[in-house]
Amino acid sequence: MDWIYNHLLSLILFTPTAAALVMLLLPKEKTALLRNFAFAASLIPFALTLVVWAGFNPQAGQALPFQFVEKANWYSAIRASYHLGVDGISLPMVLLTTLLTPLAILASYSIQERVKSYMILFLLLETGMLGVFLALDLLLFFVFWEVGLVPMYFLIAQWGSKNRNYAALKFVLYTMGGSLGLLLAIQLMGVAVGSFDLLELYQRWPTLTELKIPLGLSLPTVKAIAFWAFVVAFAIKVPVWPFHTWLPDAHTEAPTAGSMILAGVLLKLGAYGFLRLVLPLFPTESQMYAGALAFLGVAAIIFGALGAWAQNDFKRLIAYSSINHMGFVVLGIAAAAALLETTSPAGMLDKNIALNGAVLQMFNHGLSAAGMFFLVGVLYDRAHTRDLNDFGGLYALLPVYGTVLIFTAMASLGLPGLNGFVSEFLVVRGAWPVMTLATALAMIGLFFTGAYILKALKMVLHGPLNTRWKDHLSDMTGRELLVISPLMILMLALGVWPAWLLDMINRAVAFLF
Amino acid sequence: MIPLSWYLIFSAALFCIGLFGALARKNAVAILMGIELMLNAVNVNLIAFWHYHAQVRSGPYVHGLAFTTIVFVVAAAEVAVGLALIISAYRRRQTAVVDELTLLKG
Amino acid sequence: MAVETLIVLIPLLPLLAFFAIVLFAHRKNSLSHWLALGGAGMSWVLSMVVFWQAIQIEDLSQHPFAVAIQWLPTGSTGLNIGLQIDPLSAVTLFFVAWTVLMIFIYSVGYHNFGQPRGDHDRPGLPPHGATITDQHGHTHRVPSIEPMYARFFALISLFAFAMFLLVVTDNLLTLYIGWEIMGLCSYLLIGFWYGKESARNAMIKAFLTTRVGDVFMLLGLAALYSLTGTLNYQSILNNPTVLNGLAQAASPLGGVSWAGLIGVLLIIGTIGKSAQFPLHIWLPDAMEGPTPVSAMIHAATMVSAGVYLVIRFFPLLSVGWDGHQLTLPVLVMGAVGAFTALFAATIALAQNDIKRVLAYSTISQLGYMIAALGVGAYVAAAFHLITHAFFKALLFLGSGSVIHGMEHGVLHTGENIDPQNMLYMGGLRRKMPITFWTFLAGGLALSGFPLVTAGFWSKDEILAGAYASGQMLIFWTLALAALLTAFYTMRQITLTFLGNPRSQSAEHAHESRPAMTYPLVVLSFFAIAAGWVGIPDYFPLIGGIVPNWFEEFVGSMLLFHAEETHHSLLPLFTSLVVALGGLSLGWLTYRAVRQPLDPLEKPLGGLYTLLKNKYYVDEFYQLVFIRPARWLAETVTDRWLDRTVIDGILHSIARLGIWLGNVLRKWFDLPVVNGAGDLTATGTRNFGAFLRSLQTGRVQVYATIGLGAAAMVAILIYFLWVVG
Repeated sequence: MDWIYNHLLSLILFTPTAAALVMLLLPKEKTALLRNFAFAASLIPFALTLVVWAGFNPQAGQALPFQFVEKANWYSAIRASYHLGVDGISLPMVLLTTLLTPLAILASYSIQERVKSYMILFLLLETGMLGVFLALDLLLFFVFWEVGLVPMYFLIAQWGSKNRNYAALKFVLYTMGGSLGLLLAIQLMGVAVGSFDLLELYQRWPTLTELKIPLGLSLPTVKAIAFWAFVVAFAIKVPVWPFHTWLPDAHTEAPTAGSMILAGVLLKLGAYGFLRLVLPLFPTESQMYAGALAFLGVAAIIFGALGAWAQNDFKRLIAYSSINHMGFVVLGIAAAAALLETTSPAGMLDKNIALNGAVLQMFNHGLSAAGMFFLVGVLYDRAHTRDLNDFGGLYALLPVYGTVLIFTAMASLGLPGLNGFVSEFLVVRGAWPVMTLATALAMIGLFFTGAYILKALKMVLHGPLNTRWKDHLSDMTGRELLVISPLMILMLALGVWPAWLLDMINRAVAFLF
Repeated sequence: MIPLSWYLIFSAALFCIGLFGALARKNAVAILMGIELMLNAVNVNLIAFWHYHAQVRSGPYVHGLAFTTIVFVVAAAEVAVGLALIISAYRRRQTAVVDELTLLKG
Repeated sequence: MAVETLIVLIPLLPLLAFFAIVLFAHRKNSLSHWLALGGAGMSWVLSMVVFWQAIQIEDLSQHPFAVAIQWLPTGSTGLNIGLQIDPLSAVTLFFVAWTVLMIFIYSVGYHNFGQPRGDHDRPGLPPHGATITDQHGHTHRVPSIEPMYARFFALISLFAFAMFLLVVTDNLLTLYIGWEIMGLCSYLLIGFWYGKESARNAMIKAFLTTRVGDVFMLLGLAALYSLTGTLNYQSILNNPTVLNGLAQAASPLGGVSWAGLIGVLLIIGTIGKSAQFPLHIWLPDAMEGPTPVSAMIHAATMVSAGVYLVIRFFPLLSVGWDGHQLTLPVLVMGAVGAFTALFAATIALAQNDIKRVLAYSTISQLGYMIAALGVGAYVAAAFHLITHAFFKALLFLGSGSVIHGMEHGVLHTGENIDPQNMLYMGGLRRKMPITFWTFLAGGLALSGFPLVTAGFWSKDEILAGAYASGQMLIFWTLALAALLTAFYTMRQITLTFLGNPRSQSAEHAHESRPAMTYPLVVLSFFAIAAGWVGIPDYFPLIGGIVPNWFEEFVGSMLLFHAEETHHSLLPLFTSLVVALGGLSLGWLTYRAVRQPLDPLEKPLGGLYTLLKNKYYVDEFYQLVFIRPARWLAETVTDRWLDRTVIDGILHSIARLGIWLGNVLRKWFDLPVVNGAGDLTATGTRNFGAFLRSLQTGRVQVYATIGLGAAAMVAILIYFLWVVG
């Protein structure tokens, strides 16, 4: 038992891989067995995460910032190690990942073709994503960062809809393009400091005084270049305007569960990169370029909302909404970046609140975006179209679906009482004293958030019934309700009583920054 | 006494006849006969040189005879195997013309 | 139980009712309304208990009933939220509890509980009526039950929860939560009959228009929270240090203090929620919802919430205003309120839909309250908020009853007329006596009929306040609005109830069921009596007989009282003249209408068309805001920016890559790399082919070649070594 308890994070990380390997041996005709096995296997990391959650001590603070740490030699020649650990920022993300994966697998029970490879890819994807959140070593971080791409590429390219090859290629090339700079910057830092260990880098990289590598550039220039390499890589993943156009395509073409994970978790990798790497490693540069970051965040908020409003494809609309919502994460991060080296109590509080909001918004968006994509998928499974103009008046036919859709859409819209509001309020509050103009402009986006959500609801649920659906659509099944209800419960729980999650985030943020 | 050169000329002529037979004839049996002729030409050479050599050195050397005997044995074995193969091939293909036995040709 | 526990239960019970209906009773009509009524009824009981407790405490404004918990941990501290009852929330709770309960009861009747299911009724459309056969074999058309009966009660329960939460909360954040949940409920309830195109447009219009105000309000919240570190009413509004600090801190907007900026941001929230100009456009369209919803939104809850906010934050809004030098928030309130009061009243003159007239009158009356705050008449604004809630709820429910009666007539006769159009009514006082008398009470209260109605006392106080503040422009604007109010109210009463029926349907209308008329009676009591608690002491003859309890109770909320000014009789005289004059003019103009045609339409000509079309504000917004916004979204953002520019750049990069690849392939890969490889390969092959011709497979050929080769070698050796 002790061994298990000491290696919980490794178990969480590699159970999906092990399950995927076992699935290789299962016969591919037995789809029911494959589905149930994958679902059951994905529940294990979730259960283990709950154990970690229970054992995590948020009060430890300075004494024990990262808990459940595991460390082993990996590439001793370049001093990269297998170093895992969680803190109050990564643990919510791990929980989100291990929660969404079983739900996404459950949502994929409607997949009929090549079930075996689909499920295997999904489990591998989970390992890739979890690795990013758990890694405390820069090289390990990068490895998992890339690992997550591959299964997603195949999921989109194999099980996607009409234009899937274009979308999958765009997704992979774009992210890879961003990763190039990231890899170079990581190498540079690893060589300069002589270690890839994150905790060591936290100590030594920001205070580095001379660069032993003969690059012919001054240290501040090198740091600024490395900073931008990091920022671009993560900005593409978030995605920050104007690096966002891969996202609507990838989302629209991906299978339902793929979109759930893509929006729910993959986008968080970028934001997590900002929090875990960019801010602590580049405090000076972050502060210097915080204005630019805030500008990009606000642009994402506004243009994401406007873009969403312009769509007539239901799924594409929700995809744009992700850009809009992740813009708030970026805005919060930018506000915190501007205050990174402040010492005034008011500034500390603003920074703290902004970061609380950003992390919570990541979690909240994971819930609501996954929920929305799932609901689009539910409708698509029945109607085989996503064009909003084809729907209308479905509320009368699908009362349960309609109610669930309104609930989830309202969470996405940021209705107070549901989760999205809490984080948006915190971000706005945290950013307002620092970035007053940017925050005020973000309100334009917040207004149009309402516009596009209502547009979707209007065109799907309300209005006269499009008679072509009469007697052709059935309401949500028990399995589908099983997928959405945990999300809905969490949305409500976070909206009504956010402290259970926020407390943990707050302590981690207060320690880290 | 017949000088050595006569033997050598005879043997060369015999070898050339055998060589011509081996190269020009189509019938496998004839080719085999050509080969036998060439072997025997060599034997004549061997015996001639041995005899000449033994007279000069005046010793009881039997090397040449031994060589010749081995060649006879080899030739006999060769004929036995070769004829058997040819007969076998003739039985299958009703021909002993080598141009028609092209089974292994690529 | 402690009062604090009761306060928690007040909003909680309707919320529980909501969840219970959604989860367990969404197909059970009777159970759903009992759950909703149970929730609202218990909240009503608790509210009355709390109210009773509250009015017995002397210094309630300084030491309110309060509970609080930490909700958002931030850094080493956190943001607390909680509930509290102080004088302002106590009186608000009183009218909210009453009107909500009455509206709930009324809804049971309005949605035809107990009637058969309709023949062709579908969820999302109003019930069309059912055909029944009596024991004699005759078939009748009768009203049918609402197909989404349970959903209606679920939603209004949620609505009630949000309003109660907003009233009993102790901080701006929870107020905002209740505020927005009400926005959602109003959205869903306006679009309750979502099958109608007009309803689904109205629901979006309502939500988005109020959202314009809400996002500004959210900024105000953020600013206030940043500057004071709290959102609690007591810590901000009851704390002179904080207020003066805010009044002196300069905001980024040149020349405006932070208090001014925050005040304006909050006022914009109110402008959206309370449908003030220029964000008033959603409210008339919101009439698409069922009538109890109109009463809920336009009287008891949502629009009141907007005014409640500015009344609540009056200490902040008015800080730095000594009665002479106007500060920005006060100026905005006075200007917007007075303008809206008059503006909406003029539009109401030319509306023929019975509910739309009331909608515009609501906008106008809310403008009154806000203008009252703009002249510093704090208590008068709160007073008018309460009396207005009662008589406007009454009027809406009464109009619902009228519409119900008319719909009955339409079902009976099969006429093709709009049952809400007043021009087709007339003479209903004989058919619907209870509705008539209660409506009359409400209408007179709205017009400010002297002495007996509640509306008179509150409106008179506002006019007195405006006069006392010396802002004569506001005073005369409000007076003119009051005249118009009395005029269009009388127009409505005359067209609907007096004279003779102008359609078959009106002749066959009949009185509504008791579930609908009893609430009318209760509300009409308050429409008359609610004014008696606030009769000013200086009023001639009867002033001082009944103590001005309201002024004393609610006035204690303010830290600084404006000094008592000299009372003039001019405002009283004015309000008497405008009320009675407006009523008589209205009666004189409309008493003789025989045809479904407005007698003012011809004489007013173009002006009438302008009023009828609401000054073309909707069309203006469509042209100036909505179309450009759509263009910005669809053309600029989606088509140009995303698809053309950004994707264009991406595709160019991709094309550049492909082009580069092609160039490299054509000029390097193919000739050099492939060429060298191919050359080796073909060379080897050709050589092999040549050699192949030698390899016939004939031993004789090989031997001949070998012989030739040996001969060559021999010749070579001969010439090289032997000869050479």
